[in-house]
Amino acid sequence: MDGMTYLTVAYLGMIAGIAIWTWTVVNRSRTIEARLTAVESSMGIIASEADSISKEHKD
Amino acid sequence: MAGRSAEVLLGLGFAGIMTTLLLGFQWAPSVAIDAFESPAAQRIFYWHVPAAWAAFIAFAVLFTGSAMWFFKRSPLGWRLHVAGAEAGLACGLIAVWSGCVWGAAEWGTPWDWTDVRLNTFGLLTLLALFLVLGRQSQPDGVESRDTFSTFGLFGFVLVPFTYIATRIWEIRHPGPVVGAGDDGGSLSGDMAIVLFIGALSFTIFIIGHILISMRITSLEQRLEQALHHIDGGK
Repeated sequence: MDGMTYLTVAYLGMIAGIAIWTWTVVNRSRTIEARLTAVESSMGIIASEADSISKEHKD
Repeated sequence: MAGRSAEVLLGLGFAGIMTTLLLGFQWAPSVAIDAFESPAAQRIFYWHVPAAWAAFIAFAVLFTGSAMWFFKRSPLGWRLHVAGAEAGLACGLIAVWSGCVWGAAEWGTPWDWTDVRLNTFGLLTLLALFLVLGRQSQPDGVESRDTFSTFGLFGFVLVPFTYIATRIWEIRHPGPVVGAGDDGGSLSGDMAIVLFIGALSFTIFIIGHILISMRITSLEQRLEQALHHIDGGK
């Protein structure tokens, strides 16, 4: 293989990696946000940023 | 709101990364044809070095988050730990992948097990992989968080070790091209500009990813609490 082929393989791999990673993260964020909004509104509870594990074990 | 600003940073960073690629191909000069086995493949460098730089930022975030969780039981610290591990894994894999392809073109082999820089950076990426997979496979609790934070704290030792590796033992990985001390770097002005744009873009991109990852962890915790309420817990 010549240098340009290696270069193309490298960049295509990285572009695919970055695109998949970013799409997965953004999609995950939106899905969880939608689920949480639905659950919290159906229960009528106040949204809290608290981390229960941290609260329970704070020294 | 926080989610939107993270997405804006992701978009800006991605645009900058693609601009770097375009400039690297169209504008940056070629290297001397007799100085490299594969001069064309050298252009991998415009993403390889900024990706490694972004990985170091992510590992610093991982270290800070691990320390904040381990010593202060800080929820912010845990979110930083999770985000740092995920971002470190992604950027580490980009740097390792691009380095392997360049090594195959330039050295005739994708990896050299005797090179300190390659192996310490590979270990760092494996550490991030362990933290990401470990968190997904273990139930969330104070014991598992403590264990992963300990790995995050001690694993950071590899970062300065990786940084100085080519200064002390230049075996196969090229030495520093910027900030090389009195000897100066081997980079021409135009190459340095493209590299700088790449580093800046990857920095913005990784900050966006860290913010969105922290938000996901926070949302997951809230969702878990809400489901706990439904199950009758307090």
